[in-house]
Amino acid sequence: MTTRAEFIARIRAEMGKTRGLPPAAPARRPERPRAAAEAIRRELAERWPEALERFRRELEQVGGVFYRVPTLAEAAPVVAGIARDRGARRLVGWHAAEIGGDLVPALAALGLEAVSMPPGEVASAAERRRLRELVAAAELGLTGADLAIAETGTLVLRTGPGRPRSTSLLPSYHIALFDRTALVESLAQAGVVLESWHADGQSRRDGAVISFITGPSRTADIELTLTRGVHGPKEVHAIFVEAPAGG
Amino acid sequence: MSQADRSIPFRQRADRAMQDVFLQEALTIATTKFIGLRREAFAGFPEGEGLRDAAREIKEATLQHLDRYLEQLVENVERLGGRVHYATTPEEARAIILDIARQAGARIAVKSKSMATEEIHLNEALEAAGITPVETDLGEYIIQLAHERPSHIIAPAIHKTKGQIADLFTKELGRTVAADPEALTKLARGELRAKFLEADLGITGANFAVADTGTVVLVTNEGNGRMVTSLPRVHVAVMGVEKVVPSLTDLMVFLAILAKSATGQKLSVYTTLVQGPRRAGELEGPEEFHLVLLDNGRIAQLAGPLREALYCLRCGACLNVCPVYRQIGGHAYGHTYPGPIGILLTAMLNGPGAVKDLAHASSLCGACADACPVRIDIPRMLIELRREVDEKRIAPWTERIVFKAFGWLLTRPALYRLAASVGRLLQRPFVRDGAIRSLPLFGDWTRTRDLPMVARRTFRERWRNLELEPRR
Ligand code: SF4
Repeated sequence: MTTRAEFIARIRAEMGKTRGLPPAAPARRPERPRAAAEAIRRELAERWPEALERFRRELEQVGGVFYRVPTLAEAAPVVAGIARDRGARRLVGWHAAEIGGDLVPALAALGLEAVSMPPGEVASAAERRRLRELVAAAELGLTGADLAIAETGTLVLRTGPGRPRSTSLLPSYHIALFDRTALVESLAQAGVVLESWHADGQSRRDGAVISFITGPSRTADIELTLTRGVHGPKEVHAIFVEAPAGG
Repeated sequence: MSQADRSIPFRQRADRAMQDVFLQEALTIATTKFIGLRREAFAGFPEGEGLRDAAREIKEATLQHLDRYLEQLVENVERLGGRVHYATTPEEARAIILDIARQAGARIAVKSKSMATEEIHLNEALEAAGITPVETDLGEYIIQLAHERPSHIIAPAIHKTKGQIADLFTKELGRTVAADPEALTKLARGELRAKFLEADLGITGANFAVADTGTVVLVTNEGNGRMVTSLPRVHVAVMGVEKVVPSLTDLMVFLAILAKSATGQKLSVYTTLVQGPRRAGELEGPEEFHLVLLDNGRIAQLAGPLREALYCLRCGACLNVCPVYRQIGGHAYGHTYPGPIGILLTAMLNGPGAVKDLAHASSLCGACADACPVRIDIPRMLIELRREVDEKRIAPWTERIVFKAFGWLLTRPALYRLAASVGRLLQRPFVRDGAIRSLPLFGDWTRTRDLPMVARRTFRERWRNLELEPRR
């Protein structure tokens, strides 16, 4: 078996033989990512309505559905409406703390079988299995979103305790809640925020995966005919909550 | 049908593909559609040209310090609890993955589309070891059921009709289904969902890996990449060493142009950033994460003639615009990577001898270099490859002699002028409609090509008399 030392040594040996290479540098990174991300947030404090409008347009372009509600509580009837129109009842959601409030009682009152995911990991294998079966059987998955990228209509979700990966993946209908603190205008701005998350180091809330989601799952593998929901959700609904969760 | 079969010569494979009426139609529709989508995506994206330059520069900068970036990547993956393996050859890569699979006690391995695992012929090895590999990208799944190979980097099953796929599903899955893309997709979703939940091992490639953070990045439209990296207990990612990029900032530059070049989407549906195995506090995710770094001929090209091909993002844009690919499709190339870049990658992986015919399967029109998001000069490398093939005396002797003689003549102006006047007389019996359509002794060469006739007056003669010619 090749060892790391041998492998890297071979690369170095070949690199040593090159000559006349053009000067080249990687992309310029923000020097202080946290400050740069803050600066973007500040700028957007004024420009966010334009960014939101662009996000809506782009999301609809890729087959997503956009809603706008004044407060988190008012998201519950929208979620229930989506479920009703599709004859769906079973919903799994991120833990209340990760969404910014507990919608389960309200959703239950509106006739849904709603279950929140636990706030952390679960020791018992049997319980983990039960939860996975629950998610696999659910028709609706309710999550938050850490970024909404206007340029592409993309939702960015960090996994972590209380925010399992499968909530936005296994159910047929993914519903994501977000507020204006999540909005950025471009992929480049999203890159700055990613750099700032990385600079923050590994916090307790971090999971191992960051997912960029741009509309519903799709394929064109059969005669180039666009078909939705091949593995992931066949519908993506993004609900913008006007009152930011943190006040 | 038009399966890769290297036991017959390239010319016959190409001929066969060109007589396949359905394939011809499918290729025209698919490639024309992709070209249009790509053009539209960049038309509405003025910053695209600048980003292409930036992306190219990042690739070059990364290769110039590849040792450093790979070491950084390794350290970060290990810090996050992942394990890194080093494979010089395909055999070594297969052995590493089989070992991981055995230790995991895997019986089923779910895979998301990965050219790197195609390249090392992993599926055959898994099967031989009693592990069932399941391709989960819909196109790849169809191809796997049919025991074929992909015909396009990003649309592996473009050569099959929905009717053929319905028959295939009926035969292989024992379920009757309408020849309708929606119904077929739904059936596959159900079949594959069960496999995702059952599999112990998930195998992926990597579109990028970020050195600074130890992140492996997967780009998919279907969501199978997310399934494969979330549900099984063990995740193995296989990547060529050239896929590393320095930082998340660099990654965003590539994301901004990759999907636009491939399918005309602003971004693919899912971009998944995987940073090691499941972390404390997470309900789900693999317990083990392995990264296999693959050489397989790449490292030798760091200082080799094919270095620039290491920039490739595998977007497929150069296939769609290539007049040769559009005629013959992916299978006729006979190797894992088709199209103009495929010729270079085949030479990289298997040596120039493997492409002695393929090196000529290009008109050198330059459409590939124009379409390439990182502006890889494919024609330049093809020409170099032709010379190498020639120097190694792999080309037919008639061709070698003619080009030698021609080269000799070109360096002797007086003789060249004489030859032109003689040629003008000698060509008479062969000229039809202003071109030489066939030449004795060169039947093979002129069968598919017309030679322009020697002009009545040469450029030099016209230049001398330029002042006397009527002005337009
Ligand atoms: S050579 Fe360029 S156009 Fe062709 S697949 Fe690679 S990146 Fe895409």
